[in-house]
Amino acid sequence: MLKATKKAFTTFTLLLLPFTLLLAQEETDFMRSMGKMYVVVAVIVAIFIGIVIYLVTLDRKISKLEDQIIEND
Amino acid sequence: MKNAWWKIIGVLLIIYSLIVGLLTPLRTGISDASPTSFKTGETIEINVQGYNSFYTKSSNELRAWLKMDSVNALTANNIEVLDDRNLSLTFILPAYLPTSHKVQDFTLIVDSPKDGAAILPGGIFVTQDSIDVASGDSLWVNAEITNLHEKETINFPYRNILYETIRNLYYHVPLWFAMFILFITAMVKSIFYLRSFNPVHDQKAAAFTSVGILYGILGLVTGAIWAKNTWGAYWSWDVKQNMTAVGMLIYAAYFVLRASFEDPEKRARISAVYNIFAFATLIPLLYVVPKLTDSLHPGAGGNIAFGSQDLDNTMRMVFYPAIIGWALFGTWLATLVFKITSLKERWLDQQDGF
Repeated sequence: MLKATKKAFTTFTLLLLPFTLLLAQEETDFMRSMGKMYVVVAVIVAIFIGIVIYLVTLDRKISKLEDQIIEND
Repeated sequence: MKNAWWKIIGVLLIIYSLIVGLLTPLRTGISDASPTSFKTGETIEINVQGYNSFYTKSSNELRAWLKMDSVNALTANNIEVLDDRNLSLTFILPAYLPTSHKVQDFTLIVDSPKDGAAILPGGIFVTQDSIDVASGDSLWVNAEITNLHEKETINFPYRNILYETIRNLYYHVPLWFAMFILFITAMVKSIFYLRSFNPVHDQKAAAFTSVGILYGILGLVTGAIWAKNTWGAYWSWDVKQNMTAVGMLIYAAYFVLRASFEDPEKRARISAVYNIFAFATLIPLLYVVPKLTDSLHPGAGGNIAFGSQDLDNTMRMVFYPAIIGWALFGTWLATLVFKITSLKERWLDQQDGF
């Protein structure tokens, strides 16, 4: 299944997207203000988003299994 | 939620690393000095910009030096405190320097009882028109740098360019350490599978690999964000970044491989062997190849890792718990994935039974 790798790539780009969008508008000035503190914020937010995306895929797997079991009973 | 204690510990350690890692202030530093180039024989004025400094609170006890080497240093003749963040230093440079270099770099040191000592390494350059070491020696009024203070409160090291992003050590680096722990567990489970052919071990190996890849991708993304603001680009085609991406692709192929087999036993056997080889390639990709060439990344070639200068004991108190916390959290995620797959397999077996 190429789905897994495809998913991994979309996840990767999706995670970077908000930061690349920020980049378009004087992002460096903002990211580097306050002693570059927002870089740390962005890193923590990225980790959180990544874990949430992972949990969503897990949720889907469980729901699929649930549906299968209900259908067969 | 039987035996949930380690999950609680994992989450608590991550919360601890977030709170302490974000709230502890940085040490006082010098973020800028201007101008930076001077000529010998002048009375010079340097405007210093402090970081996390409180110059007005100890304005009478401030001391400043221009340090040439381990022996020679000039003391500031006058220190004017403009505000908490700005100082104006006056130095009288002799006509000759006790060095045979035409251009000599000086390290600026500012010491205050409240903030501790702050340095700007090699940031000031003095040019001498003619070189005369003997006159330089006789004209030089050496000032000894003694009794430097340390900031009293708990703090993290100040580094130019890095600034507050030094805190990413608690969020970016532990992901890699935890990823390694997860991949090692997956490899061990694969070996267990090949010894016993018990499908449970194979399912566990797949679960740990899956979370390991999540951590790897997060590590790459957080690294890219950090790199953008310290190296200048998200992706510098640095050897460490490239090799890590290759390593992640090798692990991603593990799931492609798994999906290409219909027969569960064949799938389990071949993917167990592949997992062991994937781990065997990860070590040289992440830790050997980057050391062979120049890299921007600390710990790779031409660039030392966070050593005694950067990773001090205060940082270790947050860094190590963060690694344990993320490893435990990853194990928790992996057990969830394992539970889903094993339930599915068991259910499918039951269906076949009917």
